Amino acid sequence: MQTLVNNYMFVGAVIMFGIGFMILLLHNNLIKKIIGMNIMDTSVFLLFVSLGYIKGKEAPIIVGGEISKMGYVNPLPTGLMLTGIVVAVSVTAFMLALTIKLNDMYGTIELDEIQKMRGR
Amino acid sequence: MTQTLTLISHTNTSTNFIELVPLLSIMLLMMSAFVMPLLKKKHHIYGGAIGVLGLTGILQLLNVLHINRSGAYTFDIGHFPAPFGIMLKIGEVESIIGLLFVFVNLMIVWYAYFSLEKEIKENRVSFFHTLNLLLLASLLGIVYTNDIFNGFVFLEVSTLAACGIIVVKDKKTNIKAGIKYLILSSLGSGLVLMGIAFVYSLSGHLSMSYIHEALLENMAGKHNTILISIILFTIGLGIKGAMFPLHIWLPDAHASAPSPSSAILSALVIKAPILFLIKIYYVVFGMAIIGETVILDLVLLFGVLGMIFGSLFARSQTELKRMIAYSSVAQMGYIFFAIGLGNKLGLIMAVYHIIAHALTKSSLFLAAGSFIEQTGFKTIDEFKGIGKEMPVTLGIFTISALSMIGIPVLPGFISKWNLAMAAIEIDKIYLLIILLVSSLLNAGYYFPIIINGYFGEDNLDGKIFRSKSKPVKTLLPLMILTILMVLAGFFSGSIITFIERGIYLG
Amino acid sequence: MMKSSIVRHITSLLLPFVQIFGIYIMLFGHLSPGGGFAGGSILGASLILFRFIYGSEATDAKFKATYMMRLALVSLMMYGLIKGYVFVSAFLGWHSVIGTGTPGTLLSGGFIMPLNVLVGLVVAITFYFIAVLFEEGDFNNANTRQ
Repeated sequence: MQTLVNNYMFVGAVIMFGIGFMILLLHNNLIKKIIGMNIMDTSVFLLFVSLGYIKGKEAPIIVGGEISKMGYVNPLPTGLMLTGIVVAVSVTAFMLALTIKLNDMYGTIELDEIQKMRGR
Repeated sequence: MTQTLTLISHTNTSTNFIELVPLLSIMLLMMSAFVMPLLKKKHHIYGGAIGVLGLTGILQLLNVLHINRSGAYTFDIGHFPAPFGIMLKIGEVESIIGLLFVFVNLMIVWYAYFSLEKEIKENRVSFFHTLNLLLLASLLGIVYTNDIFNGFVFLEVSTLAACGIIVVKDKKTNIKAGIKYLILSSLGSGLVLMGIAFVYSLSGHLSMSYIHEALLENMAGKHNTILISIILFTIGLGIKGAMFPLHIWLPDAHASAPSPSSAILSALVIKAPILFLIKIYYVVFGMAIIGETVILDLVLLFGVLGMIFGSLFARSQTELKRMIAYSSVAQMGYIFFAIGLGNKLGLIMAVYHIIAHALTKSSLFLAAGSFIEQTGFKTIDEFKGIGKEMPVTLGIFTISALSMIGIPVLPGFISKWNLAMAAIEIDKIYLLIILLVSSLLNAGYYFPIIINGYFGEDNLDGKIFRSKSKPVKTLLPLMILTILMVLAGFFSGSIITFIERGIYLG
Repeated sequence: MMKSSIVRHITSLLLPFVQIFGIYIMLFGHLSPGGGFAGGSILGASLILFRFIYGSEATDAKFKATYMMRLALVSLMMYGLIKGYVFVSAFLGWHSVIGTGTPGTLLSGGFIMPLNVLVGLVVAITFYFIAVLFEEGDFNNANTRQ
């Protein structure tokens, strides 16, 4: 139990990942699936950024002279997650465009109705 | 132990220009991808695309010859040394797979010059080429990189571009297949990213060799975390590489896409995640860690199930392209089987089967595409007697199908023979029976097409000889692919020796 | 096209500040959080807001689709060329044309600032195009196609 409380970042991220994963798989509405995918990706970004935190250090911006080399939190995960956020935004934009196309063609965005309409 | 790798010092006395080739190929392909929307005429677009692909192919060939002479090398991007910057590691395996990807793509684009406008609207052709060049650049990036997060970014770019070349044709089935592919792929990407987060929390590095060193040092007591991250990587990359129960997106996506896109997807796009998985298993974690867990046995089991069930599902299909797509699932089962065996010969065979399957499946899909385009039919029954109308195309289809079944001399046989040898090496004789059964099942769905195409009185009457054949110049890329496939079977000994010099085990 | 004059007046007062904020984040990417993507998305959002408030005809007259697409593609090519120059010159051991400068000032950090500006332009134009495509389905005055 104590390890769960100590590693609260991992526990929170995994719970949020599970929620997003289940939304992506189980809901029928396409917009809800897109929201689920975003929640899933956001949980991983938060986990990654929280791995860089060192207790008691400053944010890595030089304001009025450098403190010292060891005086900042790790800026590497934040930079990496910028790239990850760009990737997630691109996939979201693509899925939204495909949703609009699907809506034009079938008139609905519920996936089970689309399955029934076409038969496959 | 870590002190040996903390900073690789740079004595760059001889600047060998050939070492720029991997980075230069990726950049050349990406930049020419963004020139494509500016061109309007078909000749300009295809001329540009084929020119760039040809130039990249020549550079890759020079790279392979250089590695054949002097061995593997690493390349630090921007001259930042390894744990601080991204490192590319180019060995024998990466260079030959890079050459394969560029060459197969060149042949497919050449074929597409003659057949793509019949399937997609004319103003979308330049977008198809943009997406194709971006896809190829990202696949080369996955193959060359030695940094986990860089591999993830290129994996995402390849997913988006691959989904793009499915939906560039604007029909209902395409959009549905594209959405299914994108949703499942983003699921896989989320899992892979979570795995990267766990690995980063264990080791603090993102460069594969450094993670290996750090994991070997800090392994004590963290076996559960390591197991979780291995499982996350396996499932995430298994979704993208069509491992058995996670393959459900593949038949719809590969069957409904236009024929050149199907060929690119089946031959190239599902192979790069598998290479990434091989690198993660053997460079990041290493046999010492993987051997203690059961993950290789699980991969072996899923490979076996994929081989059997992929062939069974293919048997029951009525449409030609869906059948070939399920055959892709079965062949991916062979590659996972080879990885799951866990010994050096198995891993070499996995890479060899990637090469063999890319050459075979691309010509199969392109031949099937020309059948469908010339006759307008889609189901297998309607292709009876097509051997009289399109003999050369059916001949190309036959040779590729024989390689899939495993007739000697052709590369499919070399793969199955060596997989049997590898299975005997680890004393699992019952796997030989499974290899035999899957070969018989493969014959069960390829032979009817060939026999009904060429033979049978009531199939052939009413058909005029060569009435629907395409001119030879359009079939030339298919013939080149088939000739290369046969040569890959003839010279399999030297190819296997080349791969063995650079393989990650032992 | 929004008919409410309150919204139109307030937007016409606020939009320049939004754009200057976006350009500030883009330009100071090497000194403070942000950079090309974040600044570009703010600029793109300001263009989309302009399109919502003033309607599609006024926006199409002001920002032509062909011109913006060419600007985006040229920026991408220049980004590729500059990155290529940086990588190749590092490999061959040449010294880079733009030096590092004094850390902490605007003109420092080598090529990072021009690259941020190029990325921001591309991202802003791409966000604007996505909004146009969602609404209209195709470009109205684009004569990039036959």
